[in-house]
Amino acid sequence: MISVVKVKIDGKVVEVEPGTTVLEAAEKAGIEIPRLCVVPGLYEGSSCRLCLVKTPAGRLFPSCNYRVYRDEEFLASTPDLWEMRRVNFELLLKFHRIECWACERKSSCSLVELSKELLVDGIPVCSECPLPPNECLLLKGELCLGMIAQSGCNAECLVSGGECWGCRGPITREDILERAFTHYRELGFDVKEVIGKAEIYWNSAPGFATVKKVAERVAGRG
Amino acid sequence: MNWTLLDRCCEKCTHSPEKPCPDYIECRLSGPLCHDDERCREMRRQRLEELRYGEKGAKIKVPMASCTLATGAEAVYHAVEDAVKNMGLEATITISGCHGLDFIDPWLELSAKGMPTAIYANVKPSDVPRILEEYFVKRDVSRAFALKERVGAASGEDKVPLLGELGFWAKQYKWVSRNCGVVNPESLEEYVASGGYRGLSRAFKLGPEATIEEILKSGLRGRGGAGFPTGMKWRITRQQKATPKYVIANADEGDPGAFMNRLLAESDPFRIIEGLTIAGYAIGANQGYIFVRAEKPLMAKRLQKAVEEARRCGLLGKNILGSGFDFDIEVILSAGAFVCGEETAMIAAIEGKRAWPRQRPPYPAEKGLWGKPTAINNVETLAHAATIMAEGAEKFAAIGTEKTKGTKMFCVTGAVKRVGAYEVPIGTSIRVLVEELAGGAPEGVKVKAVQIGGPSGGCIPANLLDLPLDYETLQGAGAIMGSGGIVVIGHENCMVDVAKFFLTFTSAESCGKCIPCRVGLRVMWSILDKITKGEGTEEDLQVLRQVAETVRSASLCALGGTAPNPVLSTLRYFMDEYAAHIREKLCPALVCSALIKYRIDEEKCIACGQCAMNCPASAISKIESGKYRIDESLCIKCGVCYTVCPVKAVYKVTGARAG
Amino acid sequence: MGKLEGSNEVSVLPDKVFEGVPKAPYGLLEALRRVQAVYGYLPPEGIRRAAEYVGVPFAQAYGVATFYHQYSLEPIGKYRILVCMGTACHLRGNSLNIEFLRTLLGLKPGRKTTEDKMFSVEEARCFGCCGLAPVVVVQKPDGGNEIVGRANPRTLRALVERYRRQERGGAK
Repeated sequence: MISVVKVKIDGKVVEVEPGTTVLEAAEKAGIEIPRLCVVPGLYEGSSCRLCLVKTPAGRLFPSCNYRVYRDEEFLASTPDLWEMRRVNFELLLKFHRIECWACERKSSCSLVELSKELLVDGIPVCSECPLPPNECLLLKGELCLGMIAQSGCNAECLVSGGECWGCRGPITREDILERAFTHYRELGFDVKEVIGKAEIYWNSAPGFATVKKVAERVAGRG
Repeated sequence: MNWTLLDRCCEKCTHSPEKPCPDYIECRLSGPLCHDDERCREMRRQRLEELRYGEKGAKIKVPMASCTLATGAEAVYHAVEDAVKNMGLEATITISGCHGLDFIDPWLELSAKGMPTAIYANVKPSDVPRILEEYFVKRDVSRAFALKERVGAASGEDKVPLLGELGFWAKQYKWVSRNCGVVNPESLEEYVASGGYRGLSRAFKLGPEATIEEILKSGLRGRGGAGFPTGMKWRITRQQKATPKYVIANADEGDPGAFMNRLLAESDPFRIIEGLTIAGYAIGANQGYIFVRAEKPLMAKRLQKAVEEARRCGLLGKNILGSGFDFDIEVILSAGAFVCGEETAMIAAIEGKRAWPRQRPPYPAEKGLWGKPTAINNVETLAHAATIMAEGAEKFAAIGTEKTKGTKMFCVTGAVKRVGAYEVPIGTSIRVLVEELAGGAPEGVKVKAVQIGGPSGGCIPANLLDLPLDYETLQGAGAIMGSGGIVVIGHENCMVDVAKFFLTFTSAESCGKCIPCRVGLRVMWSILDKITKGEGTEEDLQVLRQVAETVRSASLCALGGTAPNPVLSTLRYFMDEYAAHIREKLCPALVCSALIKYRIDEEKCIACGQCAMNCPASAISKIESGKYRIDESLCIKCGVCYTVCPVKAVYKVTGARAG
Repeated sequence: MGKLEGSNEVSVLPDKVFEGVPKAPYGLLEALRRVQAVYGYLPPEGIRRAAEYVGVPFAQAYGVATFYHQYSLEPIGKYRILVCMGTACHLRGNSLNIEFLRTLLGLKPGRKTTEDKMFSVEEARCFGCCGLAPVVVVQKPDGGNEIVGRANPRTLRALVERYRRQERGGAK
């Protein structure tokens, strides 16, 4: 009965107990592998497919679930693996109800973290805003473009508690824009006002046409 | 006499349920073995004769399988009963399964001592009295479809071909389907009389290890699609230490267009049961399950009945044939989910859960049903195993190709003259199957492509029909052999529509556990939907390929892993059709509803009004000239007007001409 | 997945209904089938009873009831028209046939049962009778099946009208 197995991940070797998952071994080796669905003691994982690693022969296994019982080697950070994770994550986001301005989890959301790690666009600035939903600037009557602007700029505006001007570009997913404009109206903002402010940075942004289209549609609902 | 082959011949027979004789099976046909008695030998000979020709020397066989029942076999059966009574015929009426030649359903087989066995095709209940009279009274077979042999005693014999001379029969190698359409599927006696259970008997004499050796030697690979060497699967499961072990027969044939397993189970169920028993013996499992698709209830019924018969005769239960081996089988009905065909999903379904596959490793051989070592085999594989144990591994290994031995059952459906199930050696070309066995495309239809492997498979264009049917070659061409379903696609079908059809299926059947399959297939479907509506762009194709690649490599199980295949293979071979849909917004095959319009040629129209009367959307009305016109804004493109018009005045247009 | 349309008249099913069903989790699929055989669909109380009989939590039974195709959580029509969506049947026109049937019976998108609960139109997975493509199967109230081979809008309309006539005739 062997008491220790050597796992090589991305060239780094760690010694672990037999039965350890590759994900745990990677953590020990200081290699971060993205994951979403494994909850020890509750769910066995292997659903989100983000943690997939490759054997040198090219076979894919979810690292959260694959237990090593003898010396094995894996690749966890090849470009094709990251590409697969990115596409996979985009698929997940596709049907996610993105409404960060109203979401209780916005300050501790793994989807936001993953979108930064995997360089996936499409989540609004609200996800990065330090203010909780009930302290939103919009509630104070200040016109912040966070709901319809792309997150990821790392600018000072948010950190210092100021409103967002949308410099990183518009969100183009229509369902998010619909919810956002509906919310603007509910809070008493005029859609034209929002577009007017957005135009400052977005007048030549390709996605602006979509933003205007959805804005008109929501405004037209009377 | 009421004596059957399964009974003891006389007092000297030492076989009993408490002390079964290991030579019981061999003794049924070549016995008596434990004592010498000409009378006992004569009893067997006579019984075999009775089984062949019926107790009265004349037999009428009516096939009762799903395919024949769907064409009215039950009514034919009743007509036969009535005719026999009215004519006072001394004949036995019996049932059989189907031999796979669906294009002659429902058929009848008549046999009598001194007469050639004759098969009559496409029989209607009203034909029955005439057929019986011709055969039994007038001894005339001139209107038969085929004869099984010639004896020179009936008139018209030389006018009717021998079944063995007909291409679609002669070119088959009926190894595992030899009994289909021949024996009564509900009779264990007929199965044993045809040589059944010799395999199990021999397995017991060889022992489990040698049995596995024999299967390994034969080169048998799983016939469910994955092609994993059966002997290896059994060996690995046998080597596991945990108990109890289980064997499962996968009868969840879910590929649309495939009915080989259904045919086999409805026509020769005992072979599958024998195979499962052999598997249990080889592995060391005392309990077997047969998991049957919900949509095929007759299959489950026949298997259940066969299990009960086998139990009654001691071929299931304790100390089978005195081997010391106990084994029993439970038939379990699925509740409808394609994903159950996946091993670990099937296990979940049997356990009473949602059919979610599990990540492997650990493989079912190690941790399967209830966490115990489990071997799952397709029913065709098990039937092969039983036949191999009876006939010997060498015979099986002598056919087929270098990498894959033996035969396989294939179902050819779609645009062919002779839809049916055909068994051929592995390595036979697709062309032989499609053109020589299935008769090629009907009049006026050109073969465009052949879809192999169901929703996990790919489309092979018509110019590649000479490819051999084996696992490796097909994979290289972008298809898979799968469970053996071959659908021939004619020029009137649109390949983009076919790709979308398969995605509709797989995205609906996705179990939902993993992201790539659950979401990715829907995304792929919506892109194909856009394309079939004329709203697709070149970028859409790029996204389609990208998502297809992720679904293919990142999915948890083979459902997601192979679902992109129809799309990828149609993109590879039929790019011109995609281009037409995207760039010119037209459907060359005149299929995609949004891109076609139905029109009435007013010159041909005879103003009968049939189209308008039948239109469910009330889209057709009379115009001033008295002729009829379709209101394109109301038309739902169902095609009923196209079907009912007596002068073929309705036609379809696409593209620029659709305006 | 349908929403839970419950019926207040659902009574507790006697054990006799579950004869032969093992009182263990692996009997769940069959237990649910028995409940559906009684009501024609799975009302929530029926799912609860099945769960109780085999000994699993209601949530697990609900998960199973909503997963497999055969189970219906909404009442189905007296005549259940199953249109085979197998490959051969699709190529020979069943996708058009199902549209025809839905329009003929006035079924709005997402609904599968007519207002008068006489007919349901559902997509079915392959029956394995591909020689007769396109295949439509009607599950009749007496438990029998009528298999319509080589179905086309004309034969389907005649079929629907025939059943309607039978119903009217019987009601007299």
